Amino acid sequence: MTNSIPEIRDAELLFVIGSNTTEAHPIIAMEMKRAVRRGAKLIVADPRAIWLTEIADLHLQLKPGTDVWLLNALAHVIIAEDLVDHAFIERHTENFQAVIDAVAEYTPEAAEQVTGVPANHIRTAARWYATTRHAGIYYTLGITEHTHGTDNVYGLANLVLMTGHLGRVSAGMNPLRGQNNVQGANDAGASPIYYPGYQRVDDPAAQARFEQAWGVPLSPEPGMNLNVMMKKLGAEIRGLYVMGEDIVLSEPNAGRVEEGMNGLDFVVVQDIFPNETMRFADVVLPAACFAEKDGVFTNSDRRVQRVRKAVEPPGQARPDWEILVELSRRCGYEMDYADPGEIYAEMAGLCDKFAGISHERIDREGGRQWPCPTPDHPGTPTLHGDGPLKGKATFQGIAYRPSAELPDPEYPLLLSTGRTLYHYNAATQTRRDAGPNAKQPESFIEMHPRDARRLGVVEGERVDVASRRGTVGAAIKLTRRVKPGCVWMPFHFSEDNVNRLTNDAGDSVTGTGEYKVCAVRVEPRAAAR
Amino acid sequence: MSIQITLDGRTVAALPGETVLQVAQREGVSIPTLCHDPRLDPAAACRTCLVEVSGQRRLQPACAWKVSPGVAVTTQSETITRHRQVLLSMYLADHELDEEGLPITRGRTNDLREMAKTYGTPIRLEPSHPPRDSREDVNPYIGYDPATCILCARCTRYCDEVEAVSAITLKGRGSATTISTVAELSLLDTTCELCGGCIDTCPTGAMYEKKAPRAQGASPLEKVRSTCNFCGVGCQLDLNVQDGRIIKVTSPPAGTTVNDGNLCVKGRFAYDFVHHDERLKTPLIRRQDGQLHPCSWDEALDAAARGLLRVKERHGADSLGFVSSSRCTGEENYLVQKLSRAAFGTNNCHQCAAT
Ligand code: SF4
Ligand code: SF4
Ligand code: FES
Repeated sequence: MTNSIPEIRDAELLFVIGSNTTEAHPIIAMEMKRAVRRGAKLIVADPRAIWLTEIADLHLQLKPGTDVWLLNALAHVIIAEDLVDHAFIERHTENFQAVIDAVAEYTPEAAEQVTGVPANHIRTAARWYATTRHAGIYYTLGITEHTHGTDNVYGLANLVLMTGHLGRVSAGMNPLRGQNNVQGANDAGASPIYYPGYQRVDDPAAQARFEQAWGVPLSPEPGMNLNVMMKKLGAEIRGLYVMGEDIVLSEPNAGRVEEGMNGLDFVVVQDIFPNETMRFADVVLPAACFAEKDGVFTNSDRRVQRVRKAVEPPGQARPDWEILVELSRRCGYEMDYADPGEIYAEMAGLCDKFAGISHERIDREGGRQWPCPTPDHPGTPTLHGDGPLKGKATFQGIAYRPSAELPDPEYPLLLSTGRTLYHYNAATQTRRDAGPNAKQPESFIEMHPRDARRLGVVEGERVDVASRRGTVGAAIKLTRRVKPGCVWMPFHFSEDNVNRLTNDAGDSVTGTGEYKVCAVRVEPRAAAR
Repeated sequence: MSIQITLDGRTVAALPGETVLQVAQREGVSIPTLCHDPRLDPAAACRTCLVEVSGQRRLQPACAWKVSPGVAVTTQSETITRHRQVLLSMYLADHELDEEGLPITRGRTNDLREMAKTYGTPIRLEPSHPPRDSREDVNPYIGYDPATCILCARCTRYCDEVEAVSAITLKGRGSATTISTVAELSLLDTTCELCGGCIDTCPTGAMYEKKAPRAQGASPLEKVRSTCNFCGVGCQLDLNVQDGRIIKVTSPPAGTTVNDGNLCVKGRFAYDFVHHDERLKTPLIRRQDGQLHPCSWDEALDAAARGLLRVKERHGADSLGFVSSSRCTGEENYLVQKLSRAAFGTNNCHQCAAT
């Protein structure tokens, strides 16, 4: 997030796109509700009538995968009606002409044809957003989990930049991170192209810095992202070390991942519960959970906060960091840390962004938001406060590309997947608790009553859902939250793993899988037999 | 643009629009409250916080009264004490009392009891034995005990104003009033999202957590401040530990952390997994029979190191992949990428989540 969670309450307009905030980020949603109570306008762009649409001033119910059309049309209106912030564009950006050219054809009327959103709603949204001073954009996986995820993000950035909604409180561009420490894992360099602190592996200066610190030569070759790795299992990838992630359940096109896993020479799995990936493991290492160890998590607004050991791990389980230190030693590379505070200190010493943060400081003062370059720096709640970070921000003209797989006569329904309030990812944790199980015991598929009537299925009926890649079971849940022709499923249920259905076509830049759009058909069980 | 007011004879600065309570809290002057929660609009319902305000004939609620330039506020006086005693005696008449003559607690924190202890009252009224129904609810988390309810409506207002789902309401009239749901449904069948905010805000323990043990045992309760391990909001929470187990999770006070005293169903209630039987407790190794068997740490770590090194020898470092986790700490992610890069020489290291 360029801005902070507590700033949301003072926003005058919230543009929420591709984020079912009340279910995926409930406490951020509370801040949004507070802003609306205080008079903020709320625009929600989502294929489903999610809860937030109940209090929204405008719901742009676009067809899944047509985000680029919507975003370009919004930009089209803002440019056509000259609602842009000329001074900001002049001072802080370059290449605006590329966007002017790119969006010329994307009129609201044409966009209505593709997205299904009425042209006048697009106009209204564009005007409200452009002319409100404290207007923030909030988005999450609904934007990124597409083959054109990077384009979607550029499309949003273009809107932010052309209206100057940057470097100002209660505005900005705010990705809400799906998991507790996505931000922190990225910050720490768990990335094929970045060392810790976003220093590129192919930058010789960065390479030299880390070679010096770690005392070994390092590879300047960017590595494979997870999406590519999963496709090369058993081919270029022959051995895998998996910490804290059930890849067989969570990666798209699960059938293909399983095949690849079978072809591996060696697999280590390190986790807190038995999981699907363990079926392929040669060695399993039992880890401590968050309540049993020390360290930091970094949340969506770049806030580095502490986790603290409260109880002992069960049996012989050990904190992941201890296991890693031991393993590294046995692999011939010495690591030596007394506690996680020392590990953090080593990382902070190599990254200017976090140099001013330490365990001791967080213990004393509470969480700090990076960039925080020195121990007396207060941290940075709002990014780009004095103009964009690195020189000028560059506009990117983008063009619509359809999703990799769209409905056809054979697979006539468009499936999106996502999270519910009551469960969390692979649900190894939440399904072991009574409340979530009372609310949502089994997998379901949301379907519009009109489609259900056509298929002859009723509320609660168990059906098979099939895509080109696999078939899973689910109970029908009739709702007008989804549009006719679209269906939606949660990804929490391992016995009915939706990722047997999803498409592993990846975004060209990030490799993120297209969880949000694939084609399926629904078959009543009786007819299938 | 601050203004000046007089607080108990002292001149202090205040901001226009602030309440007397806000100024007093900042100045370290304590005023008892029951129905006040900084996250909610002032309801001025319980009347415990009444103070004298210059130019006003009646006492005024500090939680709702907005200061104006030059106003003089008195928080301690004969009149206020008298008022508080009458009020307390009415509360006491309305509630079940223990041997000490104080409101029962049922083993939970009860601010009314604390207040009765601190301020006391010589007045004794006839007990009123209010006819309040207790509603059985099958939901696994949230219980309601009318015996300690003071009808301050913090729970219902929280549910309306903060969570904005209006799952619970005040029901009935006069002394028979209780907290209930629409059509007396189980919370599971209402719009309730099981956030537990009603429990958190309740001053008397009438809204309580069913899972948490009621009476606190012999060993002391320790609160360990940590960060929620579910979504990317990064809520701060207090793990309440007793006898080596987490017995409940509470939120730090409103106004102190990024979550402002709030948590969602996952953060507040989904902690059973920590002590769950199915946790992995020993290292496992796949043996000749193709099955995973328990083994020692030494054997597991040696096998892991050997296996990874052999793949590197045969197929090169770039034939290894290191999948890291956004569920683990920053330090652990740092170590995985260091292992991948420094120990093995490959950049094939990625964490599992893209946003
Ligand atoms: S748990 Fe939350 S949603 Fe449910 S009644 Fe209490 S405050 Fe309302
Ligand atoms: S309590 Fe809920 S909203 Fe807060 S971090 Fe945890 S999962 Fe997210
Ligand atoms: S706290 Fe002010 S009236 Fe209840």
